[in-house]
Amino acid sequence: MYKLLLSWRYLRTRFIAIASIVSVTLGVATLIVVNSVMSGFISEMKNRLHGILSDIEMAAPGLGEIEWPDAHLDQIHDTLGEDVLATTKVVRVPALLNFQFNGRQFTQQIMLWGIDEESFGKVSDFLPFLTNRNKQTGLNFQLEESGYDSKLGECGWPYRREKAEILRQIEELTRQREQTRAATDPFSPKNIAAGSNASGANPTAATNNAQGPSAGALNVNPNAIGFPDLPSEVPDVEAVTQKLAETKPAPESGTGPAAVSQHDPHAHLRPQIRAEDLFNPARDQYTGIILGLAISNRKFVDEETGKTSDVFLLRPGDDVQIALPTGGARPMPIAENCTVIDFYSSNMHEYDSSFAFMPLKKLQQLRGMIDPLSGEGNVSAIQIRLKPEANLVAAKQKLEQRFPSALSPFMIQTWQDIQRPILSAVDLEVTILNILLFLIIAVAGFGILATFYMIVVEKTKDIGILKALGAPSTGVMSIFLGYGVALGAVGAGAGILLGLAFVWKINEIADLIQWVTGREVFDPTVYFFSEIPTIVDPFTIAWVAAGSIAIAVLASVLPALRAARMHPVEALRYE
Amino acid sequence: MSDSLRRVSSTKANSERSGRVPLRVARPIALRALGLEKSYRKRNVEVPVLKGVDLEIAAGEFTAIVGQSGSGKSTLLHLLGTLDAPDRGEIWYEQQRIDELPSRQRDQLRNREFGLIFQFYHLLPELTVLENVLVSQMIQHGAWSYYRNRKANTARATELLERVGLTHRLKHRPSQLSGGEMQRTAIARALMSQPKVLLADEPTGNLDRENGTRVLNCLLELCREEQLTVVMVTHDEQIAKAADAVVRLVDGLID
Repeated sequence: MYKLLLSWRYLRTRFIAIASIVSVTLGVATLIVVNSVMSGFISEMKNRLHGILSDIEMAAPGLGEIEWPDAHLDQIHDTLGEDVLATTKVVRVPALLNFQFNGRQFTQQIMLWGIDEESFGKVSDFLPFLTNRNKQTGLNFQLEESGYDSKLGECGWPYRREKAEILRQIEELTRQREQTRAATDPFSPKNIAAGSNASGANPTAATNNAQGPSAGALNVNPNAIGFPDLPSEVPDVEAVTQKLAETKPAPESGTGPAAVSQHDPHAHLRPQIRAEDLFNPARDQYTGIILGLAISNRKFVDEETGKTSDVFLLRPGDDVQIALPTGGARPMPIAENCTVIDFYSSNMHEYDSSFAFMPLKKLQQLRGMIDPLSGEGNVSAIQIRLKPEANLVAAKQKLEQRFPSALSPFMIQTWQDIQRPILSAVDLEVTILNILLFLIIAVAGFGILATFYMIVVEKTKDIGILKALGAPSTGVMSIFLGYGVALGAVGAGAGILLGLAFVWKINEIADLIQWVTGREVFDPTVYFFSEIPTIVDPFTIAWVAAGSIAIAVLASVLPALRAARMHPVEALRYE
Repeated sequence: MSDSLRRVSSTKANSERSGRVPLRVARPIALRALGLEKSYRKRNVEVPVLKGVDLEIAAGEFTAIVGQSGSGKSTLLHLLGTLDAPDRGEIWYEQQRIDELPSRQRDQLRNREFGLIFQFYHLLPELTVLENVLVSQMIQHGAWSYYRNRKANTARATELLERVGLTHRLKHRPSQLSGGEMQRTAIARALMSQPKVLLADEPTGNLDRENGTRVLNCLLELCREEQLTVVMVTHDEQIAKAADAVVRLVDGLID
């Protein structure tokens, strides 16, 4: 009883004990905060690492191909049986992506995936990372009218139509400027041939001139350069043919190029092309392609204000060109136009800055991977998603037995194998961090040791009194051990509360730090998240609390022993 | 016991009983020391304090141990109270040798049989007066049994404090008390476990005459009324006069 009472009284009446408690509190709080943030990071990272990798992947090494993938799929289903949740076939090939932005050419290398619209989303967490919400429920490679993330700005079909309209206008202007220049160029052979009778000879010239909105501005005063009576416009072929078509309608309803048939003796042999059959960027798209967000997105930090701004080099609706090698024994480079239909944003920079996705069939066609006899396409890899309760490693071993490397040179890897380097690095990091942080608590432990030694020295006489009154050595010892436990427990308790409060409000605290220091705590150009992810693991908290109490008790053992061994007479004589 | 033992009693009693009265007639012996030797070591030099002390203390008597400073009277008291162990010799308490008991039993002996009072009061500064008095009970009992008996204990402690005249000081800290009050608290504490022997080391040494007298009277009263064996160390001859028996220590030997 006296042990409890005295432990409590010593704790309450000693400022230095409060200092020890604070040191334990801070240590515990730090451990909890760091562990929560770290496990938040790791879990986020694992989700993303795992996201596109499915559970198990059977891949041909390098740019190799798996032939007869459907037969392999059957074998996989036979081998794994009930464990398989879904499978999908993918083609992966390094490619070059080329696009224009503000008149500049951008070229960069990407990893191009050919994915199956139906099954790919079932095998990996792909759909949730798409920016268009319509695509998140069902994947297709068509450009959407709406549903894009608002931070992308204007995109989708409205953007594409507007862009096409602007391009059409620019083209129009350019053509008019060309015509004006050609007409006013005295050295143009046409003008020389036309001679002086060109003036007023063309009735369409005046109307054309009036149509062009910028023609007036571009119009050069012919007198100024000393060539009188030169026409400002020359008749152009289109205008003439159009006029002819209007005056003498062709038997077909078609207009435009069809009108050329007037002068073409072989017109009846040519296929009839209608305007709506032509590729019209305001209405048509090329093969859809989904790009990693970081391919398009550049984040800029304003040096003065510290604010970050997004610049999108590409938006859904823009066209890009990709160049890639064909499959087979003799790869040849080929190029293809694609239309960006969406972005993929997993927040894993490695993926977001290099991955692009297009339809599997299209990619197989492009690369010549389709067997002309069976119509079945080769693939680069087969991805397998297992049921959540299935044993990943066991499934992998079964597959390795079924496809021995001597017979089928496939790499069968779980997602953890594929990301082994980064996962083990992170594990090591967490371990080292925990050791370092526990050293902080150990430092607090030595603080407790020193504090307790002082208190024992200070309490020498009291120890003598207690012993004189018949308190056994073990009792005196347990006063100080109890003191240590109480100190550790109070410190750990306060530390847990403080740590949890910190974790709970971590984003607000990060904002506060940013406001005070003017620097962003987690630079979004580096870390692709807006909120700091945290996971509070009760087991870790229990472990940290138990560890810190243990350290406090260990630190109090030595002073407690000293107190217990004290001789009552000498203790009483102590002044 | 042998005749070599020297019966100690007051000069008055000696004169009355000399020769005729057998040594151990008056009262049974509570504490007995046989050839006690004790020395302290100061930097490899042995400083002998007690050089063979034989002593008998009768139960229910008020015995005073007097002597000059450094004569070893406090050491003798500590040895009798099992706070320290003698280098040589034996200490007997009620037919039982106590200097060689295991420390656990000596602790219990001090806790239940002996009440100790010190010159410098030695109260625990973190505890109130009442709690200081209760400490021996707390030591004696575990937390649970103490909790069950707390009311009886508190009542007894309050009664004891009332008896030493400190009813109004129950919740005070020792630092808020005067010397006399502290010493009376210490007496109440010593009495709490209903000891048979009260060992007091210069209880009046630090007090003025009035308070000293009050404390002394208190001890005398206890001795007379409750048949308590009181052993008091003092260098004050005046106080020694009140005792039933006086032991004079001179240079580690009984004079």
